[in-house]
Amino acid sequence: MAKAYTPGLLVTRHKTHRVMRRLPISGEVKVSVGDTVTADDIVAETSLPGDVNPINLSNQMSLPPKDVVECMLKKEGDPVALDEPIAQTKGIFGMFKTTVNSRYAGTIETVSPVTGQVIVRGAPLPVQVKAYVGGRVVSVRENEGCEIEADVAYVQGIFGVGGETHGRITMACQSHDQEVTPDLITADMQGTVIIGGARMTVEAIEKAREVGAAAIISGGIDDQDLKTLLGYDLGVAITGREELGITVIVTEGFGEIAMAERTFSMLAAHVGNEASVNGATQIRAGVMRPEIIIPLASIPADDADQQFEEGQLEIGRTLRVIRDPWFGMIGEVSGLPSAPHVLGSGSKARVLEVKFPSGETAIVPRANVELIEE
Amino acid sequence: MPRPATRTKAVDHLMSDITAIDPEKIKVILATDCGSTTTKAILIQFVDGAYRQTHRGEAPTTVEKPFADVTMGVINSVTEIGELAGRRLVGDDGRIISPATETEGCDIYISTSSAGGGLQMMVAGVIAEMTAASAKRAALGAGSIVMDVIAANDGRRPHDQIQRIRDLRPDMILISGGTDGGTTDKVVQIAELVAPAKPQPRFGSDYEMPIIYAGNKDARDAVSSVFDEGGFDLQIVDNLRPVLERENLSPARDKIHDIFLEHVMAQAPGYDKLMGWTGAPIMPTPGAVGDILQTVARLQGINVVGVDIGGATTDVFSVFDETFNRTVSANLGMSYSISNVCAEATMPNVLRWVPFDMDERELRNHVKNKMIRPTTIPQTKEALMFEQAVAREALRLAYKQHKEFATTLKGVQQQRTVGDTFSQETGGMTIVNNMKLDLLVASGGVLSHAPRMHQTAMLLIDAFEPEGVTMLAKDSIFMMPHLGVLASVHPKAAEQVFDRDCLIYLGTCVCAKGSPKPGKLCFKYELSGSLTDSGEIAGGELKLIEMGMDDRAKIILTPARGIDLGAGPGKRVEKEVRGGTVGLILDGRGRSLSLPEDRATCQATVQGWLDSLDVYAEEKEAVAV
Amino acid sequence: MKTVLTLLLVVASAAWTTHSFAADITLAPPTHVSAEDVPNDIGTQVLIKWHASPDEENAGTRSLDGYAIYRKIAQTSEGLESIGEAGADASELGFPANFDFEDTQPIGSVSYGRTKFVDENVEAGNSYLYAVAATGPGGTYSPISVASSPVTAEMQWFNGGKFWFLIITAVISFVIIAFVVIAKKGGEIRVRKIAGLEAVSEAVGRATEMGKPVLFVPGILDINDIQTVAGITVLSNVAKTSARYDAKLRVPTARSLVMTTARETVEAAYLGEGRPDAYNENDIYYLTDEQFGYTAGVQGVMVRERPAACFYMGAFYAESLILAETANSIGSIQIAGTAMPSQLPFFVAACDYTLIGEEFFAASAYLSNDPEQLGSLKGQDIGKIMAAGLLVVGCVLATIAVTSESRTAQIAELYIKDNILGADGLVPNADKVAQIDAELDAQAQQPHAGGGGGS
Repeated sequence: MAKAYTPGLLVTRHKTHRVMRRLPISGEVKVSVGDTVTADDIVAETSLPGDVNPINLSNQMSLPPKDVVECMLKKEGDPVALDEPIAQTKGIFGMFKTTVNSRYAGTIETVSPVTGQVIVRGAPLPVQVKAYVGGRVVSVRENEGCEIEADVAYVQGIFGVGGETHGRITMACQSHDQEVTPDLITADMQGTVIIGGARMTVEAIEKAREVGAAAIISGGIDDQDLKTLLGYDLGVAITGREELGITVIVTEGFGEIAMAERTFSMLAAHVGNEASVNGATQIRAGVMRPEIIIPLASIPADDADQQFEEGQLEIGRTLRVIRDPWFGMIGEVSGLPSAPHVLGSGSKARVLEVKFPSGETAIVPRANVELIEE
Repeated sequence: MPRPATRTKAVDHLMSDITAIDPEKIKVILATDCGSTTTKAILIQFVDGAYRQTHRGEAPTTVEKPFADVTMGVINSVTEIGELAGRRLVGDDGRIISPATETEGCDIYISTSSAGGGLQMMVAGVIAEMTAASAKRAALGAGSIVMDVIAANDGRRPHDQIQRIRDLRPDMILISGGTDGGTTDKVVQIAELVAPAKPQPRFGSDYEMPIIYAGNKDARDAVSSVFDEGGFDLQIVDNLRPVLERENLSPARDKIHDIFLEHVMAQAPGYDKLMGWTGAPIMPTPGAVGDILQTVARLQGINVVGVDIGGATTDVFSVFDETFNRTVSANLGMSYSISNVCAEATMPNVLRWVPFDMDERELRNHVKNKMIRPTTIPQTKEALMFEQAVAREALRLAYKQHKEFATTLKGVQQQRTVGDTFSQETGGMTIVNNMKLDLLVASGGVLSHAPRMHQTAMLLIDAFEPEGVTMLAKDSIFMMPHLGVLASVHPKAAEQVFDRDCLIYLGTCVCAKGSPKPGKLCFKYELSGSLTDSGEIAGGELKLIEMGMDDRAKIILTPARGIDLGAGPGKRVEKEVRGGTVGLILDGRGRSLSLPEDRATCQATVQGWLDSLDVYAEEKEAVAV
Repeated sequence: MKTVLTLLLVVASAAWTTHSFAADITLAPPTHVSAEDVPNDIGTQVLIKWHASPDEENAGTRSLDGYAIYRKIAQTSEGLESIGEAGADASELGFPANFDFEDTQPIGSVSYGRTKFVDENVEAGNSYLYAVAATGPGGTYSPISVASSPVTAEMQWFNGGKFWFLIITAVISFVIIAFVVIAKKGGEIRVRKIAGLEAVSEAVGRATEMGKPVLFVPGILDINDIQTVAGITVLSNVAKTSARYDAKLRVPTARSLVMTTARETVEAAYLGEGRPDAYNENDIYYLTDEQFGYTAGVQGVMVRERPAACFYMGAFYAESLILAETANSIGSIQIAGTAMPSQLPFFVAACDYTLIGEEFFAASAYLSNDPEQLGSLKGQDIGKIMAAGLLVVGCVLATIAVTSESRTAQIAELYIKDNILGADGLVPNADKVAQIDAELDAQAQQPHAGGGGGS
């Protein structure tokens, strides 16, 4: 059979990365090919027409629609603020006047003598697309967007919430298996990308949000903590549009699980550097994983393209078990029986033998392991 | 500009090929299904006067980078078959050899595809329950995933609808609305929502968004002028609801298939090449599954429900009285969507099927880990039991959605007599009737790869709650898509293979409808034929009678008062039953199935059921040792 | 006032005494005259009883026509009062020995065979003395027979006879209030699905798809008819759905007031759905008060505009089938609702859905989902169940009572009939019980020869 292909997470010290920056509707692209941009630069801009909000004055003032026009305090085209009076009845001998306040801010678009409705159009919503990653503009699509290229160190997480952000890298944990607790989050982490070790608690994430951190990245999170953070139980792993005020990325999975040492040390090597982070995850066909992009000032000399992707299973390779009963444990391949093996569940599957540091060995289905590059 | 509803040259070429095929001369059939991860190939040969599936092969699908050519996976899988069959199927030029000689090639090569997420559509109609529902039925029947349904009465405001259309990136859009001679302005309003939204096709902007208009024929010109501005490829077909009393889905369905081939497939890497090889148009996988089920239901005169539970979605197909329905439950699946199943069904509902205590915090983390690492498999029995509990809930919810969708037409005039005074039923009642169901077919990983067939049978009974006498079967190696395409070329061969090789009969279940009292008589049975037996089933009891694959028996059922086994409450039933790998299952638990509220009692009850059907055999052995 | 009248009467009768003494007193008087206050009333009734005159017995040569009842006010609530006869002493109350039959108007008379009379024209607090005389043909009389003692009519604050009515009212009120409270607290009150109302969206949807209008006929009676009101409630719902689906709604009416009400209802519904622009008051118009003129007009609308959905909600007479058949011939979905028993069969047979009587009235609770309406609907249902239960029990008991000689069944039947449903109060009337006992005794003494009932 052909070689098994399982999608793996990319963790690399260097790659040439391209990001597409695109407007939701057509607008103006503010850069041209060859420009150098920083993460905060606006590369394209447009505005969405405001929402249309009808206010039924005829009902609210108990007037026939045709009388509404005479009672208007504002005319068509006038701007109105929230709760600003827009119409008033004449009352009886100047008393008992009813005033109607606008429930929306915007501009009066029309006053209808037929329906007695006033339509307030909200302010146009400006849409700005930032560069997100500092680099060079390599192509521009007119009225649509542009593509930016940069030499970066790149880490794919397994799961994240929250959208694009960026900041300097700071370390909260000293080792890759240290839990992230609120006391490790300090006020000077404002605007930074915090790197943790093992499981992060919801209290730690909330503390990070309080101090104004841009993102927090760690090995694992409890599902209950995620639910508390989001306020709902996540059904399908399609994220990125949450408005949490902080982007959260886990690199390994749910539960008490430490960040891969390789990832941890690589991130640690970039402390103080600017990183662009996106928590958007989409686990479906056309899979999308959260990413941590660290633009490099210089290309590392050793190996320009050393990737830590899945390779062949060989005896001696280090791996992580990604399913219970040995979930999260790291060991090395000690045997590769070729015949399918009957598992405890009764199913037949191809397996491998793994030896844990404690000296214990276990039989694990090949589907339930993930290779880790040393 | 709109184009007349004609087929393109590529399709014409294929169609002429099909008509040229003489079914009598086809002896060797090669079929592949290009799934999103695996390409599966099967070989069907004419052996001893009947068509049989003889060999199969598998290879990873090669649509995505770095290979980006679907034919590589196809050739890999076909080569594997060739080696197994000792028959050269792939020529030196890297093409499939056709027509066949004594030792080489095949007479016809056919294929289905769901690679790249399958066919994704958006549909629109005037009234959500009427033309929009018909449009959805047409799209689902053609095998697509319906991303959203836009209707004049869907409760969204126009700008929300426009935003939604903008956000979606469907492969094509189907617009219907109005009966012939009916509303024109509402249909044009829908078109006016779509046109300014300018939805972009999923596969780049190299081609124009295909739009199929299958609405009021009087509105054709007006709709055409709306899409005049460009950026759209408008195709006009016959109205799919010419009058409210009747649906005419096939023109729209055919057009969806054409566009699927012409636009969508042509964009996916390697498909242009693959299309040149096949002897029949490539079909979307679910559409093919629907076709084979319809063919079988028609040829055997039975009512069929089929289910395919996947990682992300669950498809339910049903054929009742020759009316076909398909639903896709987008977020009910066993890996990508497992967390959603737990959220939608709620954890207590999942756990009621598990006969032991589990730590909820740990369980929730397991579920989420399965979601983010969808390819892992359960290793322990506890993990398996939990996954099967989730599967029960996923299937139950998917079937519920299916029942709600598979209804009679709405907006239809009713014929009444004075006798209806106190029993006026509304239109749009579900046509799914478990009592009339004859065959329940399961496919999809968790069902067809369960370590024991008993687990599959139990899962089906618990989730679908069949009533009366129902045959249970599973798709052995997910062959239904292949046979679906074959059915369009050679229905006889398709049916023969379906019956002999595709389905593995699990057996027959006899389920009592009603609420039998626990421990009291529910029904009596008497078997004669391949085996003779008689006895009584008490309320709440579940009994398994071993019956081999080839065993047939006549069963006489005498239900207790208020219990229905198919002939009405308390009425005697006489039926032919067939055995299978599991046997004859007699279910006296009543319908609808209810489990005790109390956790401990529930665990004991479920354990009792599992034991009586010997569902997880290993444990019994372990106890015996 | 009454006193004055009585005085006038008495004065008048005194003036006629000149023509008196012509009466022929030949009959035997009735005996044992007594008068008693009727209990459980507001004090305006007195019951007078007597034993029949011996002359009545020999019926073959009956010389008796009936009895005349006379009354004197003995004492008013304010104190003693003169009877008003000239020269009469204040203490000399009662009837004079030489009673003048010609000049004194009796307060009432009954035919022979009766021995009771209820004087319904007395004043509470006054004492009256009654006398009864037998009357015969040709102005023959018996001497008057005076009651042994005067009687005082009294008013009771409570009508003890209707005690059961109080219990039933209290129970039903309590149930209704309880359900309203439950509903307000969020308790679920399930109303059976009414197919006709569920189908409103289907019918309007059909009209939208077909690009045809919706026709609503609110019956031919005016707004003061409860059925028209119920119909307008349904109209509000139909209008809301029409506004949401953007279907045209036509409402021809047979009364101008119904038109005005319908216009306001529909306008409110369109406003509520945020589609005031879609409302056009000219779609709701008056045709004619004339029953068949109106019918012909509506038929014309049907044939010309071919509505895809027709609603008939209100009071209908002979036009029901004419309308329903016409709409059926143009292929529209029809939903009818009326409480006219005679028209229901036509609607059921010709329409797709029909709301029958109660369903029609329950529509507003069903549609509004208002807890107060739902609660009272449920409470009323309980009341109906109680009434139906009583009916069944009564029928069974009555059947048993006539087919067997069970004393218990007869007493129970009597209790339901006269105590629970009647006005005998909590305790069974001793007289009636005695009568049942007497009948049973009589039956028991009869030989059982005819018991088979063969004759």
